[in-house]
Amino acid sequence: MLQVEAVHKSFGDFTAVYGANLTVGKGDLVAVIGPNGAGKTTLFNLITGQLKPDKGRIVFKGEEINGLPPYEICRRGIGRSFQIVNIFPRLTVFENVQVAVLSQQRQSSNIFSPARNLAVAETNDILESVGLLDKAGNIAGSLSHGDQKILEIAIALGNKPELLILDEPTAGMSPEETAATMRLIKQLASTQGLTILFCEHDMDVVFDIAQSIMVMHHGQTLIQGKPEEVRRNKEVQEAYLGGEVDA
Amino acid sequence: MELGQSLSLAALGSQLLVGLSRAMILFIVCAGLSFVLGVLRVPNIAHGALYMIGAFSAYSISTLCGDSPAGFWLALLLAPLVVALVSFIAERALFCHLYQREHLMLLLFTFALSLILGDLVKIVWGAEYRSVLAPPILRGSVPIFGSAFPRYSLFLLLIGPVVAVGLWLFVNKTRMGKISRAAAVDREMVGALGINVSWVFAAAFVIGCYLAGLGGALVAPTISITLGMDHHIIIEAFLIVTIGGLGNIWGALVGSILFGVTHSLGVLFWPQFAIVFPYATVVIVLLLRPTGLLKSVW
Amino acid sequence: MLKKFVGSLLATRYSLPTLGIIIVLLIWPLLVPRFYIYILSLIFVTALLAMSLNLTVGYGGLFQFHHGAFYGVGAYAAALVLTRTSLPVWVGYIAGPIAAAVAGLLIGWFCVRLSQLYFAMLQISLGSLIWAIVFRWYDFTGGDDGLYGIPRPSILSSTNNTYYFILLVLVACLVALYIIVKSPFGATLQAIRDNPQRCEAIGVNVRRHQLMAIVIATFFAGIAGVLFVILERSVFPDLLFWTLSLEIFIMCLLGGWFTFAGPMLGAAIIVTLRTFVGRHTEYWTLILGVILILLIFFLPEGVMGYLLRIGESANQRIGEAANQRIGESANRRISGRS
Repeated sequence: MLQVEAVHKSFGDFTAVYGANLTVGKGDLVAVIGPNGAGKTTLFNLITGQLKPDKGRIVFKGEEINGLPPYEICRRGIGRSFQIVNIFPRLTVFENVQVAVLSQQRQSSNIFSPARNLAVAETNDILESVGLLDKAGNIAGSLSHGDQKILEIAIALGNKPELLILDEPTAGMSPEETAATMRLIKQLASTQGLTILFCEHDMDVVFDIAQSIMVMHHGQTLIQGKPEEVRRNKEVQEAYLGGEVDA
Repeated sequence: MELGQSLSLAALGSQLLVGLSRAMILFIVCAGLSFVLGVLRVPNIAHGALYMIGAFSAYSISTLCGDSPAGFWLALLLAPLVVALVSFIAERALFCHLYQREHLMLLLFTFALSLILGDLVKIVWGAEYRSVLAPPILRGSVPIFGSAFPRYSLFLLLIGPVVAVGLWLFVNKTRMGKISRAAAVDREMVGALGINVSWVFAAAFVIGCYLAGLGGALVAPTISITLGMDHHIIIEAFLIVTIGGLGNIWGALVGSILFGVTHSLGVLFWPQFAIVFPYATVVIVLLLRPTGLLKSVW
Repeated sequence: MLKKFVGSLLATRYSLPTLGIIIVLLIWPLLVPRFYIYILSLIFVTALLAMSLNLTVGYGGLFQFHHGAFYGVGAYAAALVLTRTSLPVWVGYIAGPIAAAVAGLLIGWFCVRLSQLYFAMLQISLGSLIWAIVFRWYDFTGGDDGLYGIPRPSILSSTNNTYYFILLVLVACLVALYIIVKSPFGATLQAIRDNPQRCEAIGVNVRRHQLMAIVIATFFAGIAGVLFVILERSVFPDLLFWTLSLEIFIMCLLGGWFTFAGPMLGAAIIVTLRTFVGRHTEYWTLILGVILILLIFFLPEGVMGYLLRIGESANQRIGEAANQRIGESANRRISGRS
């Protein structure tokens, strides 16, 4: 479904991504791991168009998408959440998700019909599936950090993505919240048939739920494979054990 | 002015030089604006009012000296300092309390400041036209391209590059300049190094405003000083900074020259709407390069 | 749709005050001397202008710093058609908003390509260019004298009739603005205000929406300009000067720009102040500047926002923490590094 081929990106003298490769098949649950500064977020930003790659190809459903603006990429079926909470703080929880649903229904430019009658059922379904329905009327900026991270995912679901990219969905969460969020992600993947690409620090979580793992180090792809393969890989062990020392 | 008469090569040449010398004043003002914009991320709308205060202060100082030659030089020295003092007071008393607030509030504050300063000038100096005499050594003109070229314009052509190089050295070679650049990129980091960010901002603001005052003092002998000159300079300065590139001193210089020269050519060809020419230039530049001519250096 | 709207209006808790205000406004001309009828008409015109600005500033989060220019363009377009051509009156009245919207489209097209700060700077500059042209083009625009004695249809010749006409247009425009604000477009616009980067990521073409908001706002500013021509029968370059733009900005801030009706309240306060205080002083801009600074420091959510905040129950309030996060999210950029 998604192929990333030899993608490069540098900021001035600093090369953030140097030859990243990634394959995500339909229905997969794929994790990207790597030490801090390995280029994971940059890679995600390249896929969803926040950044433009210097070199390389990104192909989604057989179409090259590198260099397209983010909204075009979203409309082709890639939704995402962000590492740092990235919601609409002054809108209610309901409105946060509704805006995404309206965009998905191509209603964003409609200036005539009242928004409160539109996309209500869809929005409520999504809020229910992530467990935020009881907080639908709250101002998003006043939610707890954990709820805001869940809202992140709910907004991304509003676009009915075929591929959902989650950038550290559990960053800053307590262990209990992390576990609950991971259950939620797994459940979304199975019940809605979503393809999910995510990155995550907690290795136990990753090896527990991911079907395929891609390891990044210094902006490069070391390996992509099944959890067991990755666990046995020498380079990966070096990157995580030896690499940390000199980094 | 008839078109036929004015199109002689000499007129064109001297008009170009006049445009260039005016560009130097624009550059000094814009360099200050660009510097503040770079460090504080706020386009200081009061910059024009401060420039006007610089010009009026220069008038007062040189009048106090009885229009003696020393008066001008003293004004050139002191008027920018007066402006720096005004900006320092405004910054420490009010502006510095807003750094944690939304960006729009900072912008609105400078807008409010421009209105208050504009009316204060009216209260202090009144609405009459004022003028400052250049010292004898800079009066009169020298023949260039077969036409008379004002000495004062030549003086400006010398001052501009001096300021440019001085500012460049300051930003790139001094500790203070490096700190302000770092503060622009990452406030928290500079704060973590034990540097008082608020004072860095204060210093940057005052230095930028000093340049506005310097521009005002320098322009004083070439125009009649009056209310409303703040408005003219600020819209020009905004355009120049927009096409120059954020915080880029050389961008401000290129933008100023482009603006000054096209304006003076406009005066030659279509005096009533000379102002349209530099604007058209800006629009063309923005169409071709929406982020400005030169790269932002911050 | 209108019926539904009125129904929904009646259903809210604002219905009683709104109804009361409408009744007072309807009988106002019967109660007071002509001067006060004129003042209220002027407040209506200015209120519409402030409301149109708030669509971009309050709802769109755009630094629309020279909105007055579009008001002026609307007024001048109507005035020029009415004085320089023999076209029917209604053509002039329609020309105003259309000319303003076209100017908004042209200037906005450049502005939305830039980041917010550059947006503000470029708009001040381009708006000032329009002012400069109007100011200097004596043969066509009357230069700094402006244009006087602009004809108006006989039905609008009495003060009362003008008053009711302006009130009618204002109410119609408010209904339209209300519908727009509550539409999916309005919701998306507010989402863009809160977080443009996230909006791009959910498939919204942010620039196009912002440009659309500018065009709509300038269209209504143009209507306000036409109403000004009907009321004053004259136009002058000050209509496009940046001090006026700031004044309407202050109205939005003063009234409260996260509320729908706030800017109208702000307009009423400022116009009243200008009429009764500004008349006795040369230093009106000084007063404006001081008002603005006081607002920035003490009442950033405006009078209406403040009233609503005390009125609203605690769980509806956007707490300090939320504001903090808003500030943070506004400052955030994609760092590009994981």
